Amino acid sequence: MKFYENAPTLIAEQDQFEKDMIEFAGGAINPIKFKAIRVAHGVYEQRQEHTYMIRIRCAAGGITPKQLKKVAELGEKYGSSEVHFTTRQEVQVHDVLLQDVIKVIRGLNEVDLSSRGGGGNTIRNILTSPLSGIEEGEVFDVDPYAISLTTRMINEPDSWNLPRKFKIALSNSDEDTAYTQATCLGFVAAIKEGQKGFRVYCAGGMGAKPMVGHELIDFIPENRVYHVTKAIKIMFDKHGNRRSKYSSRIKFLWKKLDRNEFLKLFYEEYDQVKDDDSLNLDIHEIVNEGIDPQISVESVDSVEFELWKKRYVSAQKQEGLSTIKMPLCLGDLESKDAYVLCDFLDQFGDNTIRCDRAQNMRIRNIPSKYIGNLYNIVKSMSHTLVEHAPFIANMINCTGAQTCKLGICLPRGLSTELRDKLMHSDLNLDAIPEFRLNMSGCPNTCGMHHIADLGFFGKIGRKEGKIYPAYNILAGAKVGAGKTEYASKVSDLPAHAVPEFVYRFLKHYIEEKEEYSSYHEYLEKEGVELIKEISAELKEVPLFEEDQSCYIDFGAKRPLRLDDMGAAECSAGMFDMINVDRKQMETRIKGLDDVSDVEEELYRILFHTSRMLLVTRGLDASNEQQAFAYFEKHFVQTELVDISNADLLQEAKKGQKSYLKENKQRVIKLAEDVMALYKSMDDSLRFKQSPKQNVAEEKDVVESIKKDYRGVACPMNFVKTKLVLETMSVGQQLEILLDNGAPIENVPNSVKLEGHSILRQEQSSEGHWSVLIKKN
Amino acid sequence: MNLTEEQIERYSRHIILQGVGGEGQEKILNAKVLIIGTGGLGAPAALYLAAAGVGTIGLIDGDTVDLSNLQRQVIHFTPDLDKPKVQSAKEKIAQINPDVNVNAMQDLFRADNALDIIKDYDFIIDGTDNFPAKFLINDACVMGKKPFSHGGILRFDGQTMTYVPGTASYRCVFDSPPPPNAVPTCSQAGVFGAIAGMLGTIQAAEALKFFINKGELLTNRLLIFDALTMKFRTVNVKPRPDRLNIEKLVDFDQAACDLKQS
Repeated sequence: MKFYENAPTLIAEQDQFEKDMIEFAGGAINPIKFKAIRVAHGVYEQRQEHTYMIRIRCAAGGITPKQLKKVAELGEKYGSSEVHFTTRQEVQVHDVLLQDVIKVIRGLNEVDLSSRGGGGNTIRNILTSPLSGIEEGEVFDVDPYAISLTTRMINEPDSWNLPRKFKIALSNSDEDTAYTQATCLGFVAAIKEGQKGFRVYCAGGMGAKPMVGHELIDFIPENRVYHVTKAIKIMFDKHGNRRSKYSSRIKFLWKKLDRNEFLKLFYEEYDQVKDDDSLNLDIHEIVNEGIDPQISVESVDSVEFELWKKRYVSAQKQEGLSTIKMPLCLGDLESKDAYVLCDFLDQFGDNTIRCDRAQNMRIRNIPSKYIGNLYNIVKSMSHTLVEHAPFIANMINCTGAQTCKLGICLPRGLSTELRDKLMHSDLNLDAIPEFRLNMSGCPNTCGMHHIADLGFFGKIGRKEGKIYPAYNILAGAKVGAGKTEYASKVSDLPAHAVPEFVYRFLKHYIEEKEEYSSYHEYLEKEGVELIKEISAELKEVPLFEEDQSCYIDFGAKRPLRLDDMGAAECSAGMFDMINVDRKQMETRIKGLDDVSDVEEELYRILFHTSRMLLVTRGLDASNEQQAFAYFEKHFVQTELVDISNADLLQEAKKGQKSYLKENKQRVIKLAEDVMALYKSMDDSLRFKQSPKQNVAEEKDVVESIKKDYRGVACPMNFVKTKLVLETMSVGQQLEILLDNGAPIENVPNSVKLEGHSILRQEQSSEGHWSVLIKKN
Repeated sequence: MNLTEEQIERYSRHIILQGVGGEGQEKILNAKVLIIGTGGLGAPAALYLAAAGVGTIGLIDGDTVDLSNLQRQVIHFTPDLDKPKVQSAKEKIAQINPDVNVNAMQDLFRADNALDIIKDYDFIIDGTDNFPAKFLINDACVMGKKPFSHGGILRFDGQTMTYVPGTASYRCVFDSPPPPNAVPTCSQAGVFGAIAGMLGTIQAAEALKFFINKGELLTNRLLIFDALTMKFRTVNVKPRPDRLNIEKLVDFDQAACDLKQS
């Protein structure tokens, strides 16, 4: 069986991709353009430059043993010798060099897998409940719909250029184990008047601005899944915001239009297609049956085996068959383990593996008598969590700053630390097998912290001008069709305090659990307060000079640094930093009338005002002097704020706090101006008004320099010009005299190539030239 | 520091270069590089680093110039036979660039002097010809938190990688020295002279890149080439925390043929 059929155009697209890759390597295609090309092929650059990961589509989380084995082989040959399972029910090959990317992609073709659409503005992997088709009590199996919808969508050329990514999920019951309300478009299986169909949710999504999906239609017949999807796709294509990638997902369209307008636009599209039976998907029921390969049955008789069975093996609704959760450490399955496992599973047919959203494998359709055989294989594998409690296996974390350019923290390191701490603790983790502890390295939701019982996402902490890794703490998500609520933020903590925090919190919860009807009741009555209490006890960080360890994230080699984050991509972390200063500024202004030392308070306000937006210019001031100086240079002199404020900063730099008191209203006004500037900033950190470039010329704040290079031959005249420019500050001007001939033909061009501007170039009556240069 | 007229001219091709400039050249002039071994790899590395104006070059080698060295160790000339290698190299460097201050040490790099020697340098180049020395250099640099360039050549093949604290070390790739005599030495297997120049100059370029802080070093990557097919490739390597925890230095066994009978 196949979990999707690739488009016939795929091979030609891959050939084109290979050509583009060669051009990129030769410098003919710039990295930004190439990024758009490669991401659409599921190829992402890792944090380490020139190293790529390839994301492979697994519709409904399904992959056959033969396919998985091939992925493992490609990983071993070209990448990091392991298959990585993601939180999006798909698999990835990591650490692939550019020259090998196409080899991996072509290798996937051999087993009908594809990385096309693994990234980019397109229909992403379509997800389903991991036990769909085999779960007792489900409404019906939704996997056939995901499979057929995938094939249809990836064969439509207009699926590849949407305003932003488009995520679809299908749940087999109201328990909503596919998280349809946290998805762009979600279908929940339902039966109405004896007819199979779906309730449809739309415009959900997690990310930095999470929104819970809304009910779009109460019930559609099962053969209308494609019609709804197509209508949303067309509507999204027409009305989605293509300008800003930060507010382009379907959830933002709902927010912008509000419910009525959204529904109106939806029905405009849906009504055109809803009666067209020719658009119905070809649905082929998936048979969940156990093939008996007639191999010898291995019976195991040990305490560990019984414990494992209790924890990880459950009966399917099909009699005599078992499903097994295969817990993977951090989602990694080593290639050599994959070979053994896949060869074994292959005997039981193609329909034996699903990926789940906790980065674990779900094995299905194994006749129960062979459980011992599987146990022996699983036990021999090197890198799984089979001996651990399901709580540990269910922990989710994104890869974080290790490979992701957006990351702030390293949740993989935290996860490892937590696992060690909890495993060696006195906690009875088997009491909470379903508990969801999810971690993300940044406000994006790859670690699914929004749907956690206890969630964490990375942020930047600050102490005396130094930054350290920290996490926000969230708690209490509810999941279920029509009743989904995201976890809410309760507190925050330095990264290093998280393991101790989790230990103390779980200890209390496990002890008190029986007293409450649910985790949510526990949270309401005691839990939330407890989280605040424990985090207050653990939040102190020693000074950097005294103890650096809290400034180095788990799994990191050196203290957290801003410049480790991708320049244009770390906006999330930047907003954190801006908020620290913004809050200080606002609180201090509000309380100004109540403080005794007004001079000092104004000085603090001016400091936070100055520092607040420096991060948008890639600057980080560690003390007041530096903040004033940078702010004056990059915001005042460039007239992003009124240039008449320069005196405030100059006096503040000298420590003339009394001057600030005399100009109290102006200091406050300046703070307000900076706030206004911040509000005008778009998600790419650009301001509405652009900074003035010709400050030096107009204000003459820095004097220009003159040099006479007449009689100096090429290239020494340029060498000397360049050396002088290096000593000058940005915006400052240099006038040089050059001989006619080769010097004037070469030097100005070379100066321009260095990125500076030639403001003027004049020949004198004696024949030599005067060239006015502005340093950029 | 201000460049003299003579320096501006001498280093003008660097200064013109985007990515180096006057600032980069000043960094090079302030740099301190230790070259361990003044043989096949150390010779070209020393020549290029001296020419580039590296302010201080340390040379350590216990050998004297042998006739069989001259096929590839290009800093030594025929009249230098039997002269200590570090002295021969120091004389050449002085002729290439009087800006360079040379510390010549006619000694072996050993566990008991390693940390003391490397502490005065910002970057170390491994130009040695045996595994015990290579592992000792790795361990000392990891312990002393010094960046270094590993290099090795044999027959027609070369390999090199760069370590800076926090990245994969030589030990992250190769756990421990091979047993004595498991891998032949150059004197047993031979070496194609020109590849010493190919690899030594790569090491010099890595050192210079480190100082000007431009481009990407060969960190977490092992560069391997075969001069017969002229194919170069890099293999990604990962830091392994268990192998980066060096607590003490040891002198490993030398290959048997190198042991002096006592």
